[in-house]
Amino acid sequence: MTAKNWLLAGTVLSLLLSYAVPAPAAGAVPYESYNYNYWEEAVPAPAAYIPDRTLTGKDLGVGDFLDPGDMVVAADGRIYIVDSGNSRIVCLDSKWKVDKVITGFDNGGQAESFKNPSGLYVNAEGNLFIADTDNGRIVVLSPDGELLRMIEQPESDILPADFKFIPVKVTVDQAERVYVIAKGIFEGIMQFDESGQFIGYVGTNKVKRDYTEYIWRMFSTKAQKAQMALFVPTEFSNIDVDAKGFLYATNIDPGSKEPIKRLNPSGEDVLKRFGYFDILGDIRYRLVDGPSKFTDIKVLPNGMYSALDANQGKVFTYNDEGDLLYVYGGKGNQTGTFKIPVAVEFSGGNQLVLDRGKGNIAVFKPTRFGSSVNEAVGYHYNGEDAQAVPLWKEVLKLNANYDIAYIGIGKSLLMEKDNKEAMKYFKLGMDRDGYSVAFKRYRREVMQEHFGTFLTSVMILAALWIAYKLFGFWRRKRQTEALKQAPHNLKEGNAREAGFH
Amino acid sequence: MRQDFIKFPLHLMVHPFDSFWDLKYEGKGKLRVTLTLLLLVVISMILKNQFAGFLVNYNDPRHLNSITQLFTVVFPFFLWCLSNWAITTLMGGEGKFKEIMMATGYALVPVVVIYTPMVIASRFMAEEETAFYYLMMSVASIWFVALLFVGIMTVHQYTVLKTVATMLLTVVVMGIVVFLGTLVLSMLQQITEFFINIYRELIFRT
Repeated sequence: MTAKNWLLAGTVLSLLLSYAVPAPAAGAVPYESYNYNYWEEAVPAPAAYIPDRTLTGKDLGVGDFLDPGDMVVAADGRIYIVDSGNSRIVCLDSKWKVDKVITGFDNGGQAESFKNPSGLYVNAEGNLFIADTDNGRIVVLSPDGELLRMIEQPESDILPADFKFIPVKVTVDQAERVYVIAKGIFEGIMQFDESGQFIGYVGTNKVKRDYTEYIWRMFSTKAQKAQMALFVPTEFSNIDVDAKGFLYATNIDPGSKEPIKRLNPSGEDVLKRFGYFDILGDIRYRLVDGPSKFTDIKVLPNGMYSALDANQGKVFTYNDEGDLLYVYGGKGNQTGTFKIPVAVEFSGGNQLVLDRGKGNIAVFKPTRFGSSVNEAVGYHYNGEDAQAVPLWKEVLKLNANYDIAYIGIGKSLLMEKDNKEAMKYFKLGMDRDGYSVAFKRYRREVMQEHFGTFLTSVMILAALWIAYKLFGFWRRKRQTEALKQAPHNLKEGNAREAGFH
Repeated sequence: MRQDFIKFPLHLMVHPFDSFWDLKYEGKGKLRVTLTLLLLVVISMILKNQFAGFLVNYNDPRHLNSITQLFTVVFPFFLWCLSNWAITTLMGGEGKFKEIMMATGYALVPVVVIYTPMVIASRFMAEEETAFYYLMMSVASIWFVALLFVGIMTVHQYTVLKTVATMLLTVVVMGIVVFLGTLVLSMLQQITEFFINIYRELIFRT
């Protein structure tokens, strides 16, 4: 009877407990959220950004977008969408209210329109630089939509005679230099000065030689060679410029280890790559999917940048030192996944992704994890490591596998001269350089602390050794003295033993 | 005991020509010492992979397996001895299989002597000092190869050139042995599969 009661109680309790287990979070994301650990394995991580809502052209009240090609968030928070298929620019204020729609401009009394515009940049003054692709020109408009100037077919002796200018993406730095990515240009990014004169190329992608192909070519006929792919550098796919005037450029090159570049004014790649692995999006991928193909890049505050992988529909965010911070997005039909993502932007803490296939904008808002990471990275970037520590601790509560947080805490502890603890954190974060520095300091500390003890023990040992030697010396002396008397004894002894008395 | 296990191996490290001669003709080499040395090498390898300092240890601790490490030392050792014996019997070598084993085993002494102290030292090293660790590890390997060379030369009474040739051939033969081994294994697998299938077909006949 009692046993039965016990059983009953047990079942009731177990049922209760099973119901007490929390249901999966309501805000479950429609994509896998993960990060790569030191061993280059994808490990699950809390989502850093979750889809908030999507906006179509209809939602905004301007009619559906048709193949939108680009989106820009200006410094003042205004949002501009390049609606390529409808050949118009939709301008919104930061509250998603339609401000105006630019369908054309007035060129010296003549009304002109765009033809398949696919790129846009808005500078600090609010001037619009529109890559009017099929018209082969860059149109510069004032904030009111008046034509300021145009950059048309450039003329230069380094350009081929049959060259046709097809601008796709455009970016402008503080010195009003205009950088253009054009179709069919393999020499790099085209650079124009403030008056629209073509000055040259920056940041050429290097050609890698494929030796198997090379050997293959040696044995092939002329006709076969003509059929083969030419070895030309890859084209850039997109550009962005940061506050210091450095260009961030992405290129689509399947075999490249450096699809993202940060170009200094003289065109050298100066991107910091201090992370565990190359900055190329997914370091592990299914062969059917292939590697990441970056089609857009957005420079975020505090040295971070987000790159949009069109192949997998993911957004990879890195900090200034090249550590992968988080990944969100995916391919699919749900909210928060994309068909053909073309642009990633950053607006008031949220990230926006423009989907060409769906013709909508997905708004992602940061989670507690994401905003903590962003804030901590910001503190670290500005050299305020001590303030980053509580945030890193918060991050570690949410994700104990987050190596960057361990390293961040380690660096702060190193500043505070708590070397032993710093060593522990660097080891957890697998940061060997940091560990080495902390260890060296800790070792010196220990040595200084125990130098007295060490010296004392050495002195004692030396004294003991000397005493031992002296003792041995005396003992030998006594033995030799005894040996001097030995012959007598021996003779006597022998005599005794032999029985001679 | 002390003579066999400690004095003679240590003497061999620095006087290889005399000692290998003694090993062969004076009966100073002992098989039990050889096997002990092999075991010590396995242990030092395990210690190195498990306990080397963080700055020089790039192993994933989750995938360390002592049994696997035992085989990665013992299997090549016997494979080498076997291949070398196979080659040298055809090429006028004087060494018996036991002597080849002893020569190879005794050549491993520097590995035993250097690895463990270096592993301990590496735990007290900073980044700049790790170069010394790598240097010592390379010294151990080079020393081992040099001793092996002298050992094979003395055991078989070869000239220098012939020793080099046989050693290279031994490596080739090792490859062939591994290849044949995998071939045989896969054949056996196919055969067992075949018989299992026949058995199943007989079982399911109605």
